[in-house]
Amino acid sequence: MLLTLAFRNLWRNRRRTLLTLSAMVVSAALLILALGVFSGMFRDMLASATEQYYGHMVLAHADYHQRRDLFAHLDEEIASRYISLEDTEIIGISPRLRSFGLISLAETSQPVEVLGIIPEREKRVTSLQTKLVAGDYPSDMVRNGALIGQGLASKLKVSTGDEMVFVTQAADGSIGNDLLIVTGIFATGDSRHDNNLVLAPLQWVQQVMVLPGRIHEVAMTLADPMLASLAADRLNPRLPGDVEILDWGDLLPEMREVIAAYDVSRMIIVSILYMATGLGILNTFFMSVMERTREFGILMAQGMRPWTIRGLVLLETCILGGIALAIGLTCGALMTLYMQQVGIDLAGYITPVTYAGGTILPRLHAVFEAGNFYVPAGMLLLVSLIAGFLPANRAARLDPVQAVREI
Amino acid sequence: MQTKLATGILSTLLLTAIMLLTAKSVFALDVEALVRQVEQQYMGASSRAQTTMLVKTSHWKRSLEMEAWSLDRDYFLVRIIEPAKERDVATLKRSREVWNYLPKVDRVIKVPPSMMGGSWMGSHITNDDLVKANHIEKDYNLRLVEETETYFLVECLPKADAAVVWGKIVYRINKTPQVPEQIDYYDEEMVRVREIHFDDVQQIGDRIVPMRLTVLPLEKPDEQTILHYRELVFDLPLDETYFSLRNLKKP
Amino acid sequence: MDLVRLAWKNIWRNRRRTIITLAAIAFSIMLVQALHNLSFGVYAGMVDSGVRAGSGHIAVYRNNYLESRDEILHFRDGSLIDDISQIDGVEQVLPRLYIPALAQSSRESRGVLLIGVDPDRERQVNPFLKTLPADGMIRSTDSRDAVIGARLLDELQIRPGQKFVVTAQNEDGSLHSELLRVRGVVNSGMKDIDSSLILVGRGRAALLTGNSGSVHELAVILDDAGREAEVHRQVAAKLSKDQDILAVSWEEAMPNLANAIKLDYASQKFIFMIILLIVAIGVVNTLLMSVMERMREFGVILALGSKPMTLRCMIMLEAIILGLLAAAIGTVLGSLATWYLVAVGVDLADLVPETLEFGGVVFDPVMRASWDPVWMFRIAVYVVCLTLLAAAYPAIKAGRTTPVEGMRHH
Repeated sequence: MLLTLAFRNLWRNRRRTLLTLSAMVVSAALLILALGVFSGMFRDMLASATEQYYGHMVLAHADYHQRRDLFAHLDEEIASRYISLEDTEIIGISPRLRSFGLISLAETSQPVEVLGIIPEREKRVTSLQTKLVAGDYPSDMVRNGALIGQGLASKLKVSTGDEMVFVTQAADGSIGNDLLIVTGIFATGDSRHDNNLVLAPLQWVQQVMVLPGRIHEVAMTLADPMLASLAADRLNPRLPGDVEILDWGDLLPEMREVIAAYDVSRMIIVSILYMATGLGILNTFFMSVMERTREFGILMAQGMRPWTIRGLVLLETCILGGIALAIGLTCGALMTLYMQQVGIDLAGYITPVTYAGGTILPRLHAVFEAGNFYVPAGMLLLVSLIAGFLPANRAARLDPVQAVREI
Repeated sequence: MQTKLATGILSTLLLTAIMLLTAKSVFALDVEALVRQVEQQYMGASSRAQTTMLVKTSHWKRSLEMEAWSLDRDYFLVRIIEPAKERDVATLKRSREVWNYLPKVDRVIKVPPSMMGGSWMGSHITNDDLVKANHIEKDYNLRLVEETETYFLVECLPKADAAVVWGKIVYRINKTPQVPEQIDYYDEEMVRVREIHFDDVQQIGDRIVPMRLTVLPLEKPDEQTILHYRELVFDLPLDETYFSLRNLKKP
Repeated sequence: MDLVRLAWKNIWRNRRRTIITLAAIAFSIMLVQALHNLSFGVYAGMVDSGVRAGSGHIAVYRNNYLESRDEILHFRDGSLIDDISQIDGVEQVLPRLYIPALAQSSRESRGVLLIGVDPDRERQVNPFLKTLPADGMIRSTDSRDAVIGARLLDELQIRPGQKFVVTAQNEDGSLHSELLRVRGVVNSGMKDIDSSLILVGRGRAALLTGNSGSVHELAVILDDAGREAEVHRQVAAKLSKDQDILAVSWEEAMPNLANAIKLDYASQKFIFMIILLIVAIGVVNTLLMSVMERMREFGVILALGSKPMTLRCMIMLEAIILGLLAAAIGTVLGSLATWYLVAVGVDLADLVPETLEFGGVVFDPVMRASWDPVWMFRIAVYVVCLTLLAAAYPAIKAGRTTPVEGMRHH
C-alpha cells in the first residue's frame, strides 16, 4: 500500500524526481570514474615496478638478490617441487638464469645483463613483449635469438637480424662466448633496462655459462599483487633453509614506500570526492523533501500517522536511491570502461617517468575494482537516507497546522 | 668477468721473470742500481714461452696450456693450446690496448678500459696487469731491509702520490742462485693481501730462471693460480709487426 | 540595482538551502586550492633539490652532450663561470667534468663515473653533500681527496682515509692513473647514487684525461626559479657561438623530473575537473529547484507586466551572487588552509622513509604548500562562470513560462 503511494508520489512530481535523480546519478557516476582512474594510476605504478622485470615474487638463494653471485644457482626444477599451480593465485612461473658480460661488435663493447628465460613462461610474468619496437620476442625457434633494449641497440648500432658476440665468465672458469642474433628490440623508457638488459633463451644461456639444468631464480606473478607478501609468508616455510621467496616489496623497498604515500593521498582525495558527492546529494534530497513539508502537513491533517510519513519518505528514498544507484553505477561503469580501454594518452606531452625503481607510462586510464562500486553505492544509499529522512522526521513531528503553513 | 685481485701481478711476473732471465750481473747490494740495470736489460728482450696455468677457485679448477710471445714490455701475444674447448683463444696486448680472439665465434673483441680490472683467462691475473707496466722504482722507494747468508729482503714502499694500490711490496731474493723466492703484497694498513712464490729453478742457456710462479690471494685461502713455464726461448728475431690483429687470429 | 537587491533577497528566502549550497561550493574551492598549492609547493621543492644535485636550473653544454654523453664534447670554460655568476639572479655556477674510469683498491676494482667539480661551489649547493661533516669535503680542485658513495666504498673494500687508484683513457687512447684518498662518504640512501658517486676536484680529474680548464657541463643555479626565462636569455647571450656551446633549461636536461611533475599535474587536473563537475551538478539542481518552486510567483510577475528578460536576468543575478559569495568564502578558506600548509605542512614521516625517490630526486617527507595566487584566482573565476552556466537552463526555463502556465504551477 505504502509502496504504491511512494511510487505514485515520485511519479506525480516527475520534474522534482528527475532532478533529484539526475543529480544523484551524475555525481555517483563521476565518483566511480574518479575512483577508477585512481585505481588505474595505482595499478600502473605497481605494474611498472614489477611487470617489466621483477615479477611479484622471486624465489632464489637467500642473499642472491643483493650480491647476484653467479655460483648461487638452483636446480631448474626447484619451483615445481615446492610451488604448484594449485596455488591458484599464482598465474605465472618463470625460471631464469642471469649472466653479466660484454656484448661486442667490431670495436664497441657494452656491459650487459643477459637473462636466460623460457619465452612462453616469461611472458606470463613480465610484459616486455608489449614493449617491442622492432622484431619479435625470443622463441624456441631461434636457439640464440635475443631481445635487446633500444638504448643498447643504438649504442651498438644494431637492428634486428644482426649478430653480436656475448662474452662472459662461465661457471667452470672458462671464457663463455657465443653469437647472439637480435630477434627483437624493446623500449620501456627506463634506461636501466633499455641500455643493459638482454633476454635470451634459457638453454642457450645455460650452455654459454656451462650450467646445464641450472637457474638463479624463479620469478612469479600473482592474480592480486597486493597479496604477494602473504603468499610469500605462506610458501617460505615449505622451502629449504638456503632458499627463500621475496616479494616485490622486498625487492623494491622504495616502491613499497611510494605506494604507502600514494595510498594516503588517494584516501584524502577520495574522502574529498565522497564529501563533495555526499554534500551534493544531501543538498538535493534534503531540499526536495523539505519542500514537501506542506504536503506532509496536509496528509497529517487528513489523519496520516507520523510514522507512516516517515515510512513513506523512507520508501521513496529507497526507490529513488535504488534507481539512482542502478543508473549511476551503469554510467560509472561505462565511463570507467572507456577509460580502461581507451584512456587519455599523454604520450605526446610526457615521456615515461621513473619512480622509485619502476617506470610509469604517460597516460591516464582506469581499472575495475569491486570496491570502487559497492562503496560509493553504499555511501549513496546512506546519504540519501539521511538526506531524506531528517527533514521527513522533522515534518512528521511538526504540528500539522504549522506544516501546512510552511512554504 | 669476475674481478679477482688488483694490479701489478703479471707485469711483476714478467718483470721479475725476464729480469732474472736477462740479468747477467751479480745481484748488487745497491738495489736501486740493480733494478735500474735490470729494467734497462729488460728493454729489448724478446721471448717465447710454453706455459701451463692452473687456476683453482672456490668453485672450479682449470688447467690451461698456452704459448706466449713478448717484446719489451709493450707487446704480448698469448694463445691457448689446451683444453680443446678453448684452443686458439688468444690475447694481444699492444702498448695499452688489449684484444681477445674467440675462435668459437671467430671474432676479435677489444677489451674496454672498464673491463681492465677483470681477471685474465679466469685467473688471479688481471687484464690490467697485462696493460700496466709496473715501473717499480719509478713508483716505489726500494731498500734492503735484511740480508742473511741465503737471501736478500728488499722492501718497496710507494712514493708519495704514486698511483699504486699497494702499501708495501717485499721481495725475497735468493743469493745463490740469484732468483726471487717470494713477493709479498701489502695493503695500506700493512695487511698482507697476496703472495707470489717462485720455484723450480732451472738453467736456460746462460740464465737461471724460476720456472714456476704461484699467485696466492691470501683472503681466499683455497684459491690460487700457478703459472709453470715448460719451455723458454730468448732473443728471437721478433718485431712489432708480429704483434698484429691478424696474428691474433691465425693459429 | 533594484534587481540586484531583489536577487539578493531571493537567495536568502530559503536560508537552509542557500547555506548548504554555499558550503558545498566554498568547501570544494577550498579543497581544490589547498591541494593545488600543496602540490605546487612540493613540486617546487623537488625541482629545487633536483637541479641542485643535477644540471642546475639552466645547464650549459657543448653540442649534443646531453643526449650522447660523449666525453669528447668538453669545452673550455675560461671566464664563463665568472661572467655567468655576474648575471642578476644567479646564485651559483657549478663546473663539472665527467670521466668514465676504473677505480681500484688492493682488493677490488669497479667501473665508475668520476665527476670533477669545484669543491667550494659544489659544497654550497649540492644536497647530497649536505650531510658531510665540516672536514669531509674535498679541499681544493687539485687535491687528491675524493668523496665517494657509501656502497661503492664497501664494494671496493676500503675505508675513509684510505687510498685507491683511478685509471682513465686519454683522448689519444693512452691510459693514465691517479692516486686518490677517501675524504668523505655520501650516504644518500639511494642505491644508484651510493654505488656510483665519486667526486674529485676538477683539477685532479683533468689530469686523468689531459683536459685542464675544460668542463662537460656548467650547472647554473638561480635564486628564484621563477626568473628562469630571463636569466636563460642572458646566459645564452654570454655564450660564444664558435665553440658550439648552448644553454639548456632543466626541463630538457632532466626530463624525468619534468615529466614526473607533469604527469602528477595531469591526473590532478582530471580529478579537480571531476570534483568541480560534481559540485556544478549540485548547483544546477539547487537553482532549478529554486526556480521551480517560484514558478507561480513568476507567473504572477509576468502577468503584472514584467518582461521575460527581466526574469532571466534576475535568475542569472541570483546565480552570480551565489557564485561570487561562494568563491569569496571558498578562497578565504582556501587561503587559510594554504597558510597552514605553508607554515606547518603535512608530515608523512611515519609512512615514508627519509629518502623517497620520485623522478630521480629525493623527496622531503614534510609536504609544504606554496602560494600560487594566480591559479587560486583562476579557479574562483571558473567556479563563478560555472555557476553562471548552471543558471542558464533554469533562467531560460523561467523566462519561457507564460503567465498563465506559471500561475497554474504548484
